[in-house]
Amino acid sequence: MTNYILKRLGQGLLTVFLTVSTVFILIRMAPGDPAVSYAGPLASNEQLAAVREQFGLDRPVLEQYWIFLQQLFTGNLGQSYSFQAPAMQVVAERMPYTLTLATAAILLTAVVAIPLGVWMSRRPDTGKELGVNVLTIAGQSMPDFWTGIMLLTGFAVLVPIFPASGFATWGGLVLPTITIAILQIALISRMVRREMTNNLAAPFLTVARSRGVRSSALTWRYAMGNSAIPVFTALGTRFAAMLNGVVVVEVVFAWPGVGSLIVRALETRDYPLIQATVLLTALLAVGVQLLIDLAYPLLDPRVRLGKAATA
Amino acid sequence: MTAQPTFTEQPLLEVRDFQVELITDAGIIRAVDSVSFSIHRGETVTIIGESGSGKSTTAMGILRLLPEDLAVLSGTVLIDGVDITADPKAIDKVRGKTLALIPQDPMTALSPVHSIGSQLFEAIRIAGAASAKDKGALQARAVRLLEQVHIPTPEKQLKKYPHQLSGGMLQRVLIAIALASEPQLLVADEPTSALDVTVQGGILDLLLELQEQRGIGILMITHDLGVARLISDRIHVMKDGSFVESGEVQQIVDHPATDYTRALLAAVPVLGPWDETPAAAPGRHAANATGSSATSDPALTQTGAKP
Ligand SMILES: Nc1ncnc2c1ncn2[C@@H]1O[C@H](COP(=O)(O)OP(=O)(O)OP(=O)(O)O)[C@@H](O)[C@H]1O
Ligand SMILES: [Mg+2]
Repeated sequence: MTNYILKRLGQGLLTVFLTVSTVFILIRMAPGDPAVSYAGPLASNEQLAAVREQFGLDRPVLEQYWIFLQQLFTGNLGQSYSFQAPAMQVVAERMPYTLTLATAAILLTAVVAIPLGVWMSRRPDTGKELGVNVLTIAGQSMPDFWTGIMLLTGFAVLVPIFPASGFATWGGLVLPTITIAILQIALISRMVRREMTNNLAAPFLTVARSRGVRSSALTWRYAMGNSAIPVFTALGTRFAAMLNGVVVVEVVFAWPGVGSLIVRALETRDYPLIQATVLLTALLAVGVQLLIDLAYPLLDPRVRLGKAATA
Repeated sequence: MTAQPTFTEQPLLEVRDFQVELITDAGIIRAVDSVSFSIHRGETVTIIGESGSGKSTTAMGILRLLPEDLAVLSGTVLIDGVDITADPKAIDKVRGKTLALIPQDPMTALSPVHSIGSQLFEAIRIAGAASAKDKGALQARAVRLLEQVHIPTPEKQLKKYPHQLSGGMLQRVLIAIALASEPQLLVADEPTSALDVTVQGGILDLLLELQEQRGIGILMITHDLGVARLISDRIHVMKDGSFVESGEVQQIVDHPATDYTRALLAAVPVLGPWDETPAAAPGRHAANATGSSATSDPALTQTGAKP
């Protein structure tokens, strides 16, 4: 088990390292000059050169990479150009907002998608089920910026129940959470339905029914008990993905998280900030994924106890 | 029909003109067509027939385990006097109480993520044999049930999960679960067909032993005449949803009335050398000699040779 954890940890850290290294190279290959964004379009060549020297951008790329590796080792990725503060600190301050949004979205997803999927599996081929099914397909195909703008127009502009942007009050959490959750609910509820339908038709369910187990226990204890593992894994993976993937929603709702931060960092070619954002979100995503992997054996006795011998 | 022994008590199971129609993509199939039979206390009645003849559908129909929206039941099925065809709710009164199922494939019959103990405890609770709160009583009853089906170190097995037990052990666990409610009628749909030949005999012995101790009635489904001969009092031969022949084991085996039954009999020799080594087969099934079933050693040894 310890071996397994160490192996997964090593794989995770390697993934993070390769990701930040790739980003390091890509941003330097992309067009655009940090010095220009920093000093402004009217800056003279001398001014630009001074800025480049200040940021260390006048050195050869390999040398910059070597410095970056040293910084990576010490956990200090340098000053953000635009914030004039340590890049790691800027990202760390934004992280709780993204975590809050992702947690709210995944909780809403679980709370809605699981009962919805169970409900669909128990009423297959009825008119209502067909209606819900069509809705989930629609939810699955709506781009989230579109959903976000529809919700904004509806519930922040036309009927101003919720704030349009930012996170000044808890009300500000509602619309971005719903925007993210709609797609996730569509995906997860269909998965729950598929798992439940299979397990409701499983032989062990018929046998349990034959010994007088009530219908609610058949659904929740047996069918859900056996569907929980893949559903939990899917929710965890989606959560990990949200930690670096809610960019569009954060921008639409001006949410002060890392998603909107990275957009700004990219616009201003703020290399240290881009690298710090990628590093921290990748670490977090890998950490969550590792936790899911570790929880798996707790949920599934077949994994926990292995294929043991006979009695 | 042969003359049945006359019983004054009401049968445990009485099936009259039972029909099951299955709604399938290809249209409506009458999978079970007007079958009638009955089982009294301590009796084993076997339905035998080729694959697809409707045996499982009959058994599952009696237990009302077919999908309600795809299977239409008609006729009368009285379980200990309760008519379960007329009232769909009535089955709840007998399932897990007077009536229990022993499934065909023990490897898939228990939930893989729940322990043996939790599934056995649940059955005990449903039967009302021990209160849910009294953990000690539950445990004691569970251990006693596992002992009854000759499972070694029962306390240890309770903590295990299905994938940790062999098929034969799982079938014993399933029989223990079925016995939790002290049922009067067991329905066994090919209870040994998924098992290794070496453990099949042990399971059949166990069923006979329990039947002798408790006078349980058994509805046995099989396509294996060896099994049928070993444990049955009466046999109904099924073909295309109806019984083509019914009677005492010995009579059916000795004097099959139809070519269909003769063909079923002819399929038997794969089972082993019944006729060559008279002692070999019954020797393994100790319960047979003392069992309450009508089968006896001579029946086993004489009839196998006849095609
Ligand atoms: N779910 C189903 N959908 C369509 N037809 C079915 C279904 N289940 C059973 N049948 C049909 O009903 C008939 C009886 O099937 P059943 O399973 O009762 O046979 P069986 O005697 O138990 O066979 P076996 O020995 O293979 O278990 C068959 O013709 C079969 O094709
Ligand atoms: Mg069958």
